[in-house]
Amino acid sequence: MKAFSGEGYRRTFVYFIIMILGAVYGLRLFQLQIVQHSEYDEKSAENSVKPIEDIPLRGVFYDRNMKLLVENTPTYTIRIVPAEYDTTKNSLLEQICGVPEGTVRSLLQKNKQFSRFVPLKVKRGVDFKAVGWVEENSSQLPGVSYIIEMQRGYLDSVMASHVYGYTKEISPKQLEDDDYYAPGDLIGYNGIERKYEQVLRGVKGYKYVVVDARRREVHNFKQLKNIPSVKGEDLVLGFDANAQKTAEKELRGKIGAVVAIEPSTGEIIAMASSPTYDLNEFSYFTPKEYIQQLYTDPAKPLFNRATMAAHPPGSTFKVLCAMTALEEGVINESTTLHCGGSFTFGRSFKCHGAHGAINVVSAIEHSCNVFFYQLIFKIGLDRLKTYAEKFGLGKKTGIDIMEEARGLIPSTQYYEKIYGKNWPQGILVSLGIGQGEVSLTPLQLASYCGLIANNGKSYKPHVVKGYLDEKKQYHPFPFEPINTGISQKTFDIVKRGMFLVVNGGGTATNIKRSDIMFAGKTGTAQNPHGKDHSIFMGFAPFDNPKIAVAVLVENAGFGATWAAPIAQKVMLAYLLKGQPVQGVTVANPAPNQED
Amino acid sequence: MSRVNYRFQDKFDLPTFLIATALTFLGLLAIYSATRSTVAEHSNYIKQAISWGVAFVIFVVVVALPIRWLRVVAWPSYALTLIGLVLVLFIGKVTGGQKCWIHLGPLSVQPSEFAKFSTVLVLATFLSRHQTDIDNMKDISVTLLLGMLPVGLIMLEPDLGSSFVFFGILLAMLYWRGVSSFGLFFVLSPGVVAISALFGTTYLIIVLVLSAVLLIFFRKDIFLSGSIFAVNLSAGFFVDNVYNILSPHQKKRIATFVDPDSDPLGAGYNSLQARIAIGSGGFWGKGFLSGNQTQLHFIPAQWTDFIFCVIGEEFGFIGSSVVVVLYIVMFIRILKVALMVKDEFYSLVIIGILSIYVGHFIINLGMAIGLLPVIGIPLPFVSYGGTSLILNMLMLAVVLNIYRSLRDFS
Repeated sequence: MKAFSGEGYRRTFVYFIIMILGAVYGLRLFQLQIVQHSEYDEKSAENSVKPIEDIPLRGVFYDRNMKLLVENTPTYTIRIVPAEYDTTKNSLLEQICGVPEGTVRSLLQKNKQFSRFVPLKVKRGVDFKAVGWVEENSSQLPGVSYIIEMQRGYLDSVMASHVYGYTKEISPKQLEDDDYYAPGDLIGYNGIERKYEQVLRGVKGYKYVVVDARRREVHNFKQLKNIPSVKGEDLVLGFDANAQKTAEKELRGKIGAVVAIEPSTGEIIAMASSPTYDLNEFSYFTPKEYIQQLYTDPAKPLFNRATMAAHPPGSTFKVLCAMTALEEGVINESTTLHCGGSFTFGRSFKCHGAHGAINVVSAIEHSCNVFFYQLIFKIGLDRLKTYAEKFGLGKKTGIDIMEEARGLIPSTQYYEKIYGKNWPQGILVSLGIGQGEVSLTPLQLASYCGLIANNGKSYKPHVVKGYLDEKKQYHPFPFEPINTGISQKTFDIVKRGMFLVVNGGGTATNIKRSDIMFAGKTGTAQNPHGKDHSIFMGFAPFDNPKIAVAVLVENAGFGATWAAPIAQKVMLAYLLKGQPVQGVTVANPAPNQED
Repeated sequence: MSRVNYRFQDKFDLPTFLIATALTFLGLLAIYSATRSTVAEHSNYIKQAISWGVAFVIFVVVVALPIRWLRVVAWPSYALTLIGLVLVLFIGKVTGGQKCWIHLGPLSVQPSEFAKFSTVLVLATFLSRHQTDIDNMKDISVTLLLGMLPVGLIMLEPDLGSSFVFFGILLAMLYWRGVSSFGLFFVLSPGVVAISALFGTTYLIIVLVLSAVLLIFFRKDIFLSGSIFAVNLSAGFFVDNVYNILSPHQKKRIATFVDPDSDPLGAGYNSLQARIAIGSGGFWGKGFLSGNQTQLHFIPAQWTDFIFCVIGEEFGFIGSSVVVVLYIVMFIRILKVALMVKDEFYSLVIIGILSIYVGHFIINLGMAIGLLPVIGIPLPFVSYGGTSLILNMLMLAVVLNIYRSLRDFS
């Protein structure tokens, strides 16, 4: 044998190399599997377990008779999974979905960097025919599927757009404020949807799924229990579907608002503003053109006139003046003032006629201006303001839908600020008959009328009265009581005047009926920008008021002509529970053309 | 020479065989775990078991063969594999950007796997010749040529991992044959220069300067030193061209190794997922069939090159340590055989085979545990792959044949 040249140390060196190799790899394994184990374990879990949000059903709305007003209805969305989808079907799919050519291509292009197993939405809100087609032809459309998502569904006849409001995709700022939400979530944007968001949204659930390296869902993750979502609470509104329907119908084509309130509880029975907008357009995905159209419309459909339009209350304000004077002992029931047809204070202020010696009841009945011109000077501005405040006028009512105007009850300071220290007292003349700077919203007017009807006691006006729990058990929300502290005697006097407005020789005899006793007061808001606004407030039945209504019709002239008949129809719809109105309005067909 | 006294273990190195069998069995478990929920590969463990059956028959035959056949087949097998390597470039099937398979009817073979073994035989034959002078530059150059010829062809496939293994074979066999430090430098320096070039010009210049200093230190003939430096220089600049031959995914892998953060979701992704799999296994492992990295296919093709991740994740530190220890024990036992055998040819063959095993082990495991770049190469006995398993068993049979036949000389 030939001895080979490898020397002894060389062999030992090979041996060492192998041992060192084993040691290095062993130490590395120790580092990975023991030292850094928890770090890699976490990464491994993050890799494969994905929580999927389970969006709960939003609470629905019921009216006071448990009639469903707003519900959740399914909408169909067509989706494709890029990994399985056959791109030669693009034009076919586009045709089915009714989207422009190239939509699918650009959708795929845009999402190229994401996993090819994450479904992409081609079109939301497709009709059922398209879904059926996809279902039938699924073998020829690999990777095409549809999902059902929930959107708001509304009654055909009732669409209190301004009251219900709508939901919208959450904004980045809102996302920052509340970590409950995730990007893409829908959140109440206005109206009840916004105010009661916390109640309506329910509680999100989570489903834990294991996904593979391509983010494809493999199976449920058993180690973590799924957290089921909790459905949102259903709300019960004070609304009466019949009254609301009538209010919306009567306002159609006009500019104005109707607010009906239950005098004893402050529950809003109806609230409508016209022109309005179609909530269905907002139920899932709103077309830009529609929004643009709403914003540019000069009649401002998005503006809720019921709570935002503050106009002079006109003669409806006279009732407040009367109550102030009676309570303060300035006059009593039998005190008469003289009306000669006009009143002179610096200049001449006209009345509708010469009423002669007239007491407070008749002054309300006939809406005698001269009586109240004189009365306001006897009361004084400060006392009037005190009583206005007792009725919540000049400040927000605090109703449970978000947007509301405060209106204005002028004070001494207010006039001093506008006209200087020596402001002309003549301004008070107009104030006495509800003209000039004073302004009320239809909601304030309804609330004020409701308080009169219920003799000064009620609750803060509210649209939602309570909610239903999971067991459909009704729970009322608490509301702040209101007490004006005004004497029953005073209410009896002014209410008699309001009764005669309809049933005597007053200004709204056109709505008089034999079956139901209405009471009310007409008003005309002087409008320096155009035709006067027609106003009416009233309640019924007279002996036991169940409903009080305020109606504003802009640019329509006298209160009796337009506003009073609308108020009557709304009250009838409510009191007769939507039954067709029997008999006719026994009326003086031509009431006095006064306000 | 009486044979009467010999016991079974003197004729057959049972522990080494058992280690290889244990590794194969662990491999089968891991292959089953990694493929059971796949569509195309779920029966791979059966195929692997069949391959092992074939390999075992070959193993028994080769162990029993008379020892002299090795010298006889050396040159012809070398010639055959060269032909195979040329053929694969023309009729080979492209898999994962590489052309390394030849289909012969129902069989697919990888000539590059056989090339390693036949190159070992040829190098052993050449280096053990009487007239070969290991300190003669001409003989070293012939050795290099014999060793690098298959590498040149394999780089065209391209198969980076196998090329590294050839480099290791050459180095180990020259070293074992007793090459001088200068000879070693002559062999090593172009490779070191080439690798440094991958890391950028600064590294290249530093290594070139270093090699120049060493050349001066060796005090060899100025002409020889000059030409070696020239070879180094051209190796450094040639690396760009070699780099261009590499497929894009291999380039990316090298780039990721040079700068691990360069592509966290691309080539670095596999490396990271492999580390997550092994690291999350912890001490005891997640249990057989319970590794989510494995079961959810976070690591591509892990029944082949990333098979160690399955063991690391499902059997934990215990399981992976056992694998490492099994290999180290096997290597030491093979090394001992090489030391026992007094015939230089057979000793060199064993060292060559050992270097193949060790080379695969270093590259494959180093890749899985994030110490080396992601280079596709199977883990001997464990990874799925018929050619590889049969060849590994064949080489083990050669080692044990030499053990059986030549223990007499110890």
